Amino acid sequence: MAKKIVVDPIPRIEGHLRIEATLNESNVIEEAYSTGTMWRGIEVILKGRDPRDAWAFTERICGVCTTVHALASVRCVEDALGIAIPTNARIIRNLMNATQVTQDHLVHFYHLHALDWVDVVSALKADPKQASAIAQSISPWPKSSVGYFKDLQQRLVGFVESGQLGIFSNGYWGHPAYKLPAEVNLIAVAHYLEALDFQKEIIKIHTIFGGKNPHPNYLVGGMACAIDPNSDTAINIERLMMIKKIIDDTNTFIDQVYIPDLIAIAGYYKGWLYGGGLGNYLSYGDFPETTLDDFKTLLWPRGAILNKDLANVIDVDPRDAAQVTEEVSHSWYTYSGGDDKGLHPWKGETTPSYTGPKPPFEHLDTSKKYSWLKTPRWKNHAMEVGPLARVLVAYAKGDPMIKETVGLVLSKLEVGPEALFSTLGRTAARGIECKQTAGFMTHYYDQLIANIKTGDYRTFNSEHWDPASWPEECKGFGYTEAPRGSLGHWIQIKEKKIKEYQIVVPSTWNASPRDVNGNPGAYESALKGTPMINPEQPLEILRTVHSFDPCLACASHLFDMNGKEITSVTIV
Amino acid sequence: MKYNAVNVIGLGNILYGDEGFGVAALNSFRDSSSFPETVRFIDGGTQGIALLDYIEACDAVIVFDALIPLEYDRRVYVYRNDELPAFIHRKMSSHQMGLSEMLGIAKLHGRMPREIVLIGVPPKELELNVGLSREISLLLPEAVEQARALVDGWLAESR
Repeated sequence: MAKKIVVDPIPRIEGHLRIEATLNESNVIEEAYSTGTMWRGIEVILKGRDPRDAWAFTERICGVCTTVHALASVRCVEDALGIAIPTNARIIRNLMNATQVTQDHLVHFYHLHALDWVDVVSALKADPKQASAIAQSISPWPKSSVGYFKDLQQRLVGFVESGQLGIFSNGYWGHPAYKLPAEVNLIAVAHYLEALDFQKEIIKIHTIFGGKNPHPNYLVGGMACAIDPNSDTAINIERLMMIKKIIDDTNTFIDQVYIPDLIAIAGYYKGWLYGGGLGNYLSYGDFPETTLDDFKTLLWPRGAILNKDLANVIDVDPRDAAQVTEEVSHSWYTYSGGDDKGLHPWKGETTPSYTGPKPPFEHLDTSKKYSWLKTPRWKNHAMEVGPLARVLVAYAKGDPMIKETVGLVLSKLEVGPEALFSTLGRTAARGIECKQTAGFMTHYYDQLIANIKTGDYRTFNSEHWDPASWPEECKGFGYTEAPRGSLGHWIQIKEKKIKEYQIVVPSTWNASPRDVNGNPGAYESALKGTPMINPEQPLEILRTVHSFDPCLACASHLFDMNGKEITSVTIV
Repeated sequence: MKYNAVNVIGLGNILYGDEGFGVAALNSFRDSSSFPETVRFIDGGTQGIALLDYIEACDAVIVFDALIPLEYDRRVYVYRNDELPAFIHRKMSSHQMGLSEMLGIAKLHGRMPREIVLIGVPPKELELNVGLSREISLLLPEAVEQARALVDGWLAESR
């Protein structure tokens, strides 16, 4: 008899991600359904507002990436109004974006994903001497003495004895799917704490350029920060030196902590190559060396791959109505022209129409509409976006840096490139990319210094700031590659106001429900075929879903005074 | 005991009605009087990990936020120190990282502020909308007064 398993965070109000999976007699996932349980209707809020303010609203969509929507939004409005930004603004935006990706990947790996592979409780049994020897064998990172690991272990024991291991509540500790030796678990816990500490430094770059963090300031036409090497209040020599130090430390941390940990941990799991999924990958590309339309200069290339065919990278144009569409056949929205046809975002509509059961509910009828996420498709294909998609597109296009780093990781793990098409491959791609973006930070810092040295301090182009200079009607597209994948904003401006605004976020690509032809989205496809050791502790589902770094709902931040059981698991 | 750094943080999503209570309270408090440089005001939005530094690097923290359970009476609640849950829970995404998790990490780092206070109200309306409901906005003055009493006390001790 087939079992059904439902993983649902906060069943009551904080809408989020719900996974429903059916298992066969051997506890292998036969089908999976992904549901976004909360409406994200920013598009409705933006209608009628000043396009120059859109970034500040869109920046509030996401509770993790504080900058990506602001970046896509200013690019979108500039595209519509034909505004060219100064060189310094391009460099600063790229540097802030590289900073965001690097920090986000680091936090994702250690904070969200590591505990899918690392058993915190097992670390209590580790031999600090052996842990030290292992740490020193894989990295020159200085915090690796016997005493260091002993102290940390004692601190953890102290927490357990005072009943405070509750800090790591609800973990599946002791689950047989955990494979690391106690000593590697101890090293990983040490680096978990160090990474969470260190990430605070990286993001200071946003505070310097954006004036504050979270929610740094962006500006249509450039950046809101002034550059003047001799001023006390502007971006000056002192601040630039501070940035340089942060960038150098970041590169060291990624090279000496993240990458060695990734390789060490992955080495114990290379037999667990589930979670590949669609085999279709999409990247809009990002990090322009000139303008956003000069695709050849994007350091992250643009392209699509179908059916894992790395020999063919297909051109992508998100402005083309035949390429990017959003469907609502399984989503709680209606389209005026019928729910069976997808719409390009410039023709997009956001009309909610909830037809599901009244929450809290136990079941969703997945043959009908079952998600608040729309279903984005590229030329009618379901696509995976994010680090693995970007790394594969770059790899297939022969990017030398990516080829080298991918080659290094694969050879250390003694696996072939086919291993990339998996949950672990997605996790490895994120690390590889993090090393790359840390390198971008250095690259943009050098570019910025070189440009300032020419005497160019300009950060803002005011040419079309005045709405009197705008056309009566225009439309624009803005894109970025956010840490989680391709992000697009599409705007229509009429009579100086926003007429329509549509956003297609990375997690909508990855977590989308079925399309009109019944084809699954990326999560749904990736979970299929995964064997579960113990369905009541669905560690394997969390591993694969986490490997995409889900970013949903992006809405609520309520403080729960008594809710400890955040993610519920129901088996029926 | 001196309080050389006091951080006041407003949490919540200003696009979701009363979810934005924390940010609205932060702004009311900041605009209600003048403060010395040792008191900093941080609009935390719906951020998680980005706020860790503001929690760990100070002597005292006040956090304004909307609270659940929704069944609570709609009034201003004040919770201090050990009354606040601190834990790192199993989650589906980084978005589920809230204040309690930040406190859990600060504890593991051994960098909890000496005083941490949550001032919150259960929301009435959680709909896509910019601005608080009337009922919740009427609670802002009391929330501000509670924060002012605490900050005044800490500043007096620091003189």
